[in-house]
Order: sequence, then structure tokens, then C-alpha cells
Amino acid sequence: MKGISFGQYYPANSVIHRLDPRTKVILAILYIVCTFLCKSAVGFGVLVLSTVLLVLLSRIPLRLILKSMRPMLMIIAFTSIINIFWTKGEHLLTPDGWWLKIYAEGLWNALFMVLRITVLIMATSVFLTYTTTPLAMTDALEQLLSPLKKLRFPVHETAMMMSIALRFIPTLSEETEKIMNAQKARGADFSSGGLLQRAKALIPILIPLFVSAIGRAFDLASAMECRCYHGGEGRTRLRVLKYHWFDFATMLLMVGFGVGVFFLNRIGIGYVLR
Amino acid sequence: MSKITLDHVSYVYSKGTPYEQKALDDVSLSIRDHCITGIIGHTGSGKSTMMQLLNGLAAPTSGKVLLDGYDVNTTFEDLFAQWKSLPKYENLSKSAAKKAIKKDIKDFRRRLCFRVGLVMQYPEYQLFEETVYKDIAFGPQNMGLSEEEIRERVMEAAAFSGVEPEWMEKSPFDLSGGQKRRVALAGVIAMRPEVLVLDEPGAGLDPRGRNSIFEKIVHYQKTTGSTVLIVSHSMEDMARLCDDVVVLYRAKIVKQGSGREVFSHADELSKIGLDIPQITRLLQMLKEKGMPISDDIYTVDEAVAALKQIL
Amino acid sequence: MSESFIHTENLCFSYTDSEGKKESPALKGISVDIKKGEYVAVLGHNGSGKSTFAKLLNLILEPTEGRLVIDGVDLTAQELTDELILQLRRKVGMVFQNPDNQLVATIVEEDVAFGPENLGIPQNEIRIRVDEALASVGMSEYATHEPHRLSGGQKQRIAIAGVIAMMPQCIVFDESTAMLDPSGRREVLDAIRMLNRDFGITVLNITHYMNEAALADRVLVINDGTLLLDGTPDEIFAQQALLKKVGLEVPQCAELIYALRKAGVRIEGEALSTPEGCAEMILRAYRNKGGLSHE
Repeated sequence: MKGISFGQYYPANSVIHRLDPRTKVILAILYIVCTFLCKSAVGFGVLVLSTVLLVLLSRIPLRLILKSMRPMLMIIAFTSIINIFWTKGEHLLTPDGWWLKIYAEGLWNALFMVLRITVLIMATSVFLTYTTTPLAMTDALEQLLSPLKKLRFPVHETAMMMSIALRFIPTLSEETEKIMNAQKARGADFSSGGLLQRAKALIPILIPLFVSAIGRAFDLASAMECRCYHGGEGRTRLRVLKYHWFDFATMLLMVGFGVGVFFLNRIGIGYVLR
Repeated sequence: MSKITLDHVSYVYSKGTPYEQKALDDVSLSIRDHCITGIIGHTGSGKSTMMQLLNGLAAPTSGKVLLDGYDVNTTFEDLFAQWKSLPKYENLSKSAAKKAIKKDIKDFRRRLCFRVGLVMQYPEYQLFEETVYKDIAFGPQNMGLSEEEIRERVMEAAAFSGVEPEWMEKSPFDLSGGQKRRVALAGVIAMRPEVLVLDEPGAGLDPRGRNSIFEKIVHYQKTTGSTVLIVSHSMEDMARLCDDVVVLYRAKIVKQGSGREVFSHADELSKIGLDIPQITRLLQMLKEKGMPISDDIYTVDEAVAALKQIL
Repeated sequence: MSESFIHTENLCFSYTDSEGKKESPALKGISVDIKKGEYVAVLGHNGSGKSTFAKLLNLILEPTEGRLVIDGVDLTAQELTDELILQLRRKVGMVFQNPDNQLVATIVEEDVAFGPENLGIPQNEIRIRVDEALASVGMSEYATHEPHRLSGGQKQRIAIAGVIAMMPQCIVFDESTAMLDPSGRREVLDAIRMLNRDFGITVLNITHYMNEAALADRVLVINDGTLLLDGTPDEIFAQQALLKKVGLEVPQCAELIYALRKAGVRIEGEALSTPEGCAEMILRAYRNKGGLSHE
């Protein structure tokens, strides 16, 4: 367990890695908007190209990203089947009289949907998980959401909870392993029996784990108080996020990209979604 | 033949990743039966890994762990490959032999944890039942024993570990740290293991609690004559309690023998970062200053006896 | 070494149970005076009240009776405001037993910065404090590591750095070595001694290890909620019978001297706290007997 680092952060020194995490959150959102704006074959071509470029820039092995796409295959396959068979259009491809009717529009829709999902997942994971540590992500969200403080939303507290959770995930997973071993040593059997029996077999792990987690929580609370923690008010930070000209430039570029994709829809070469 | 033997055992963590680490490196060792053996080494020396190998929680990367001469990690494939030459299966049909071997392997692995009882470090964290009695009974229950036999074993184990009868119906979470640890010890002893393995049984307890738990362990060993292994980094405790001592350093055995033999190399032990007993250090100083006294003394009683003669 | 830093008079504390009733008192009137810059070990078996005592010094628990004065501020004579508590915790830092349960951040330097951040120290000064604190415990090279990959001793040193970065005048170690292996314990004890010697920080080390008590200037023994003994390590270790009675044991060397004396051997001196001192005493006794006379 010790060898597993939490999250999918891939350490490298790329342009994308160096962007401010807040910029990356904004870029990810803008990119999502772009994928939904895109309706033309040319537009999707550009979108795919931009994603490939993004992956190259981030210096993350394409293999790694494709591997992590595997769990999404089912969803992609499902949506494309729905699109192929359920879209009605004007260009019927199957011979007349077949009960199964497939239209050219359906194929186009399916292709666009597959591309949209793939591009969306790849881009957001490059921006948000592969090049940004969970800690930086927490900081970014805390700052981006800070206007919500006016609405009494506990922004600082939420961020603190997230970062403490990140800190304790490895500790608790190690502890789970220890408790599991201890109960195995007393003959606990986690792998045989029906579902109910297996669920029951988890009790000897869950109870000690909860008891210990609660104990840790109390300890941590004392330790934080002793270090003068009193909420977010008047708190300074060691690491302050700073926008650079480069951050603004990339955001501008992304907005320009969105506008471009939008106008590509107008040109109407190839198929255009309606 | 000893009950427990390690035969050229190596163990590598996270093999093939950047975190790859050798925890045991070609270790061969026979544990003397009916004795208390201390395994000493600091964190990362491989001692905790060794314990997990003994009762099948982990399997060695290479080499064999033998219990009564039988490789505890024997696989189905190992046996099935030679079933015709094994008297137990030779008269069976191929499919019957296959079935029988599968069952035997499974049964053996399941019984292994009852035969080699493992008390982990800070074992009080494994308590979970509503009452102390039920918690101690967890092991015997998993063995599938009758209610009566469970009761008998729980009572016997409680007496050995110093679990007071009036705690039996209490929640284990209402006990103090030292008391919880005794309950956890009883939970393992109740399985009547042939070999009892303990990881740092005294860790985190105050002197009174530590002495009391060690007394219980020694008493248990003397009464039942079982084989006991204690893993620890406290030389002073090990010197007092153990018949044999094995010193692990960087995944290898560097010293092994009776306590006297091992502690007579105090210099080498302190060189690898182990704390030699304070009393041994004192006697070394006296000897250096010219007093006619032996420095292979490692308990206070021996030192008193030796010094009384010349003072 | 003249000015008093912690001063208690008849300090009492009782825990309340879940129904709000007071349980039997955990501390029954402790009066003690600890000077600035002292290195004090507080000994006692589990449940003796020593950890309760530690928690009162930091107002994690509030005294139920008696007087508590820290750095000239009488904390029992006035209403405890948040401001007052914060000021106190700035002065008195605390390092706990379980190294895993006191580190807050996923990166070492972030954790060390946690205290100063809470105090509202400007960013550039936090940077300086973090770097200095990590350097003082010899952990600079681990600044950007993840704490859960470090050893127990290293984690405790990070916790110590986190306290140093708040620049306290006093640090209380609440059984901070109890869960460590010998090398981890040595790392932490070295750090404690350095804090006391080089930074002049007042140190209270709450422990049940006698060998640790030997390193302090002064030892307090707490038993059953009262102050049983107060003196130098040598003085305390001479009280072997009393210590045994309250569930503590003296280091092997002191035990040896005690046993020899009981057997009628005459050994003079009180240097019981170190093997070196004991060796010296035994050698002297041996010379008096006529041994080593050729020297």
C-alpha cells in the first residue's frame, strides 16, 4: 500500500504543469464549453488536434491516458449504440423494408458523441488530475470559490476538510491493511461465502477502523488547536497562488479557440449537427 | 527437525516499481522448539516481514518457510504435478485427486494461522466485539469449535494473559491500554497455537504494563512448552527473557545463538545501531578501567553477583 | 534561569463523564515552579495524571481548581478569552505521542507552515521560519516530501519543526517518544536537547522512560494526581524503592548500585543517572578496597 501514491498526478516539468491551478480549472471549464459548442466535422477535427497537442505539451505518456480511459469504454459504446439506432434523419442507409433503420445522421451523431466524450475526459484529466496535485487543486478551489463566502458557504472549512482527507487517506489505508492482517491471523475469512456473509466478515475490520479514525480525529483536533488553528480568519499562507502573464495568455487563447470553433460550425463543410 | 525453519528465504517489496525494497535477503534459520527466541533489529531490518511469512500472511519471493518440514506455501500446482507419487492421493482418480488436493491446500492454509498464532504490534487496535469474552472467542469460533470448547479455551487464555474474570462482559473499549493488550493476547492464545509469534508486545506500555505482559508470556511458555518468538528492538528485555536471540540487520541475519553468545558481541551490535543493555555498557567501562570482571554480563542480577565477589 | 515560567499552586483537574458529573480527580493539587530555560522531565505510570498535567499547561483542558501562572500571566484569575488562549499557545507549544495524528498537511513544509499561517505571519517570513525550523531538526532535504512516507522519528521531528516555527518559549512533549523505535527516540531526544541548549527553550518532557529522565536537569514524579518527588535525576534515582512502588523502574545501573548497597557493599556518591557516573562510583569503591592499587 505504501507504494501507491494517491491521485493520478504525474510528476513532470511541462508548460501545463507550471500553469496556476486556478487557470487550469478555468481552462478545463472553457474546454468543456468548447466541446459543446462544436457541431461541425471540421470543428471536431480541430478539437481532436487540440487535444493531441495538449497531451504532447503535458508530456504525459499517451499510453497512460488511454489506459485510464478503459473504464469509460462501456459508456462510450452505450451512447454510440443509442445514437446509431435511435436517431431519425433523412438519409436512410439500410435497405427499405428492414425493421432496423440506420440513418447517416445517426452515424455522424454517434461519431461526434464518441469524440466529444473522449476529448472531454482526456482534456479535463490532463488539466485537473495528471498535471495538478490534489493539494494544489484544493487551494485552487478554495480561492476560486471564495466569493461564495459572502453567501456563508464554508469555503475555507471545506477546503481544509479536503486537504486533511488527502493527508489521512494513505494512513488509513495502511491501517486497514494492518487490521485486516490481524483479523486474518485470527482466522477471519474475507473471501468465501455469499454476499451477506462477506459483508458480515467486514465488521471485524470496519469497527476497529472507525474506532481508530475517531481517535485520530480527536488527536488531530487537539494538535491543530495547539498550533493556534482558529478557522480561516486572519490566516496567511506559505504558498500563495499568483497569476502570471502566461496564465492570462492561455485563458485568452482558450476563449479565442472557443470562438473559432463556433465559427467553424457556420462554414459548414462536411456534416453539421442541427 | 525444528518446528519452524526458514530455508534461503528472500522477500522483496513492491517488486518492479521505483519503491522496490529487499526486506529479507537469503535468510536461513531454524528456531529451537519449546524455547523463547528473540528477533532483534531496528525498523526496516526485516523482522516484521519475517513474522508475516511465518503464518502465511505473506509468501516469500524465493525460498521456503517450513512448518514441521512442510513448505507452508506449497501450491496446488506443486502437489498436482506429482499426485501419482503421493501415497495420500495415488489411489484416487485424476479428478478426485484434483479435488482432494485443492481442499487440502485450502484447509492447510486456513489452519496455518491457528497453528502459528500472530500477535501484531499494538494488537489492541484489532478488538471489535461487544464484550471481551466474544472478542477472545473470535479465533476459536473461526476454527469451528463447539460452544463448550470455545468457553474452555477462552477461560484458559484469559487466565494466561491476565484478563480478569470481571472484564468478560465489559466492552473491550472501556478498558485501559494495557488491559486491552492482554485481551488481544488472549484472543491469540485461545487458538492454542503451536507457535506464538509476538511483534513488540511491550511497545507503548509503561514499565509496569510492560513487565506484566512479559511475565505472562514467559509463564505461558513455561506452562505450555510451546515455541515462542518475540520480535523487539529492546535488547534489555530480550536479554532478560529469551533463550535464543537472532539479530537482523539490513535484511540479513548478522548474529544468532544463545543470548549470552549474541550479547558478548556488544561492540558489533552497537555499531549497527542497536542499544546494548545499559548494564553491559557499564561493565565494559569497568573492564576497560582495569577491573577484573567479565563483560559478557547482561542482566542486573548477574552483575550484582559478579561485583559482590570483588567489592 | 531565575525567572519563573510556569507556576502552579494547588492545581486540580477532574474529568466530567458523559452525564456531566465529575469523575474522581485526575490531578489533586500540584504546586510547582518551573524556571525559564529549564529542562524538566515529568515521570509517572499510565494514568498517574502526568498527561493531564501537560494538557492543562496548554489549556486543552481547563483547571477545575488552583492557580496557573504562565510567563507572568495568571490564567486562573481571569475570564479565558480566545485571545488569551491564542497568546498562551503561541508561548507554549506541544508535541504529542502519535506522530501520524498531528501532521495536518500532505507536504512536509506545508505542515511546518501550519502554525505560522494560523498566526497570520506574512508570507515571506513564514518561508524563513519554515526553512529555519526544518534546518534546526535536520530535515531540510525532506521539505517537499510527503509525511506518510517518513519514519516515525522523522515525523516527530517534523512535528517539532512545526512547533519551533511558531517560536514558542516552552515546548511540552507529551510522551512523544513512546511509539518510536530506539533510533527514532534518539533523534527526538537529540532535538529536544538542542532546543533547550541552543534556543534556550523551556522543555517539559512527559515520559515513562527513566533513561529519558536522566537527560533532564530536573525530574518531577507524579503519582495518583499528586507530585511525589521533585529533584535532580540523581536524587530521584536514589529513591528506588519508592519508584518501584509507583510502577516505575530505575535504569539498570542505578538498580545495580542499589542492589550492591543492599548486599552490604559500601559505594559512595549519588551519580546514579548515567552509566559513566555509576562506573566511577564502583571504581572508587574498588580502589578503597585495595583493588587497582598499583595505579
